[in-house]
Amino acid sequence: MNKTININLGGIIFHLDENAYLVFNNYLKAVKSGLEHQESGAEIIADIEARIAEIFGMRLKEGKRQVINESDVEFIISTLGKPEDFSDSDDMENEPFSGKEKNKRFFRNPDETVIGGVCSGIAAYFNTDVVWIRIIFLILFFFTGIGFFTYIILWAAIPEAKTTAQKLQMRGEPVTLESIEKVFDKFGAQSKESGKKIKSGLSGFFDFVINTIGSIFAFIFRFLGVIIAIIGALIAFSLLIALLGIFGSTWSFTNFDFININGHVLGMNGTEAIFGGGWRLIALRLGTILTLLMPLFALVVFIAKVLGKEINNSRLLSFSGIASFIMGLLLIFISAGSIITDFKEDATDTERYTLSGTSFNVQAEFLEGNSGFFFEVDDEVLRIENIRFNIQPTSNEEASLELRHSARGRSHSEARQRAQNYEFPYAQNGEDLQLSEYFNVPKSAMWRAQSLKATLYLPVGATVYLDPSIENIMYDVKNVQNMWDGDMLGREWIMTSKGLSCSDCPEIIYYRAQDLEDEIQDNVDEELEELEEDIERKLEELELELKRLKDR
Amino acid sequence: MKIENTKAQMRKGVLEYCILGILSNGDAYASDIIEHLKNAELIVVEGTLYPLLTRLKNAGLLEYRWEESTSGPPRKYYSLSPQGKSFQLELKSTWDALQKAVEHITTSK
Repeated sequence: MNKTININLGGIIFHLDENAYLVFNNYLKAVKSGLEHQESGAEIIADIEARIAEIFGMRLKEGKRQVINESDVEFIISTLGKPEDFSDSDDMENEPFSGKEKNKRFFRNPDETVIGGVCSGIAAYFNTDVVWIRIIFLILFFFTGIGFFTYIILWAAIPEAKTTAQKLQMRGEPVTLESIEKVFDKFGAQSKESGKKIKSGLSGFFDFVINTIGSIFAFIFRFLGVIIAIIGALIAFSLLIALLGIFGSTWSFTNFDFININGHVLGMNGTEAIFGGGWRLIALRLGTILTLLMPLFALVVFIAKVLGKEINNSRLLSFSGIASFIMGLLLIFISAGSIITDFKEDATDTERYTLSGTSFNVQAEFLEGNSGFFFEVDDEVLRIENIRFNIQPTSNEEASLELRHSARGRSHSEARQRAQNYEFPYAQNGEDLQLSEYFNVPKSAMWRAQSLKATLYLPVGATVYLDPSIENIMYDVKNVQNMWDGDMLGREWIMTSKGLSCSDCPEIIYYRAQDLEDEIQDNVDEELEELEEDIERKLEELELELKRLKDR
Repeated sequence: MKIENTKAQMRKGVLEYCILGILSNGDAYASDIIEHLKNAELIVVEGTLYPLLTRLKNAGLLEYRWEESTSGPPRKYYSLSPQGKSFQLELKSTWDALQKAVEHITTSK
């Protein structure tokens, strides 16, 4: 399929296909520019256009076609002759060639390139030697770095002069007989040799230097390109791995741990605990698969490109890749969005268990492999480790353990149901109060931000020993000594009305800096006073002595 | 000095005379004139002719009228003006003399 362009020749419309138009337009322009300035040039042009219309009409009739193609235009050119044939020999000298350079355009020059032909394109535009432009760019490159970005931007933004007409436009040469000679001799060698011949020795030397530097830079650019490609590939790869991780985490493979770190199946338990087993998990699984397809396709296309093989349907492939990516994201969002509504309402279940005795030894079961995960999934239960243990005074006679379990749900009743449905393993064995670092909820309840506040209420005077094993569940236990939770472990405590007080901590006397200073000041003042009194007494004695001596 | 250039110069010199000669035998379209000249290998491409025709017309040697065409836009139908006729006759005697002179010089070595 070719675009056609309509033209009007001598009052008749012709359809030209695009290539034919390009050639024909250049040709006619050249012819016109040669004739315009002649006496009654317009008339000659009209005659020629009429003739062309005649020939076009004939050829269309003969070929039973509707569209003028390149061969028709070539026929015109061979019949009517090159633009220079149109001139009357006598008038050649008079012809003004200095038509204004209105058609000047920026192009990259593909015939003189070091990197992308930007500099030579600019040089052609400003009609200077390319060496100077290159020097300016190199200076900008080395001293500001602007040169680099400017070059890259220009490289991307400026089109390459592909056709001879564009090459003429690049130099801003008016499309005249002289310049058009090149157009029609383009099958000959117009480019490199003729350009090189003109160069002087000086610029030849510069060129050598610049070309050398240029090829070094070309190498560096290529090198940078490789590095950027590697970095990009690494990023893409890690993204892929992350997605694969999510993907893997949504499936539980029997006897196969997808990514296994220290016995923990990364992410899998979490996904199961949060998404349950219903449609939301399916949506998530589907979503991750679809999302993964795009990088997979991209990888395929990339590898194919690296291997130098073009994939025929790469467009279809990338389109379906993007489509499935969006679909996948949508599914993930829907699934996740549905989960979020499950956290809307909050409910707390409070229960209080009376304990016997007033002396306790609080311990907790140390969980093997406790790595700080929120929760773990056993076969039937969800084991959650979000426990806050506190010890507070009570006015009651008896000690008690209060458990406040809160959970979230789509509705309040759902949250309440969830809050009531849990199990906190603890046991009292004489003085030993055995707690645990976790509590269990049924797997079907799923993880909905369950948390447990366990508070040991002790009457004043009760004693308690805090075993180091409760370190993980202690949470800001109030005490008279104002010690940190960690420091309280392994010590004997007695309950007072203000909270726990340490009964076996070494006595520590605290000084305040101000007190110390005051004390020192007092001492100094006292000693000064004594000194003054001493001096006065001595003076009195001396005076008496003096009197005694005088009297004698 | 290229032989092609010289040949072209020679042809161009006699071109005006030939056009007038063709038209002295009867009126013609530009394309007819071109046809004659092409057959005689006096011109290779048509482009050369149009400026020439216009110049001769402007000099008052030619006249034209528009004729409708079936295969394209209206065409110019050229004929010699009275001035053109006398011009052609004058050129003819010059040409004949020139031809003899040239023949004489190039053959009588």
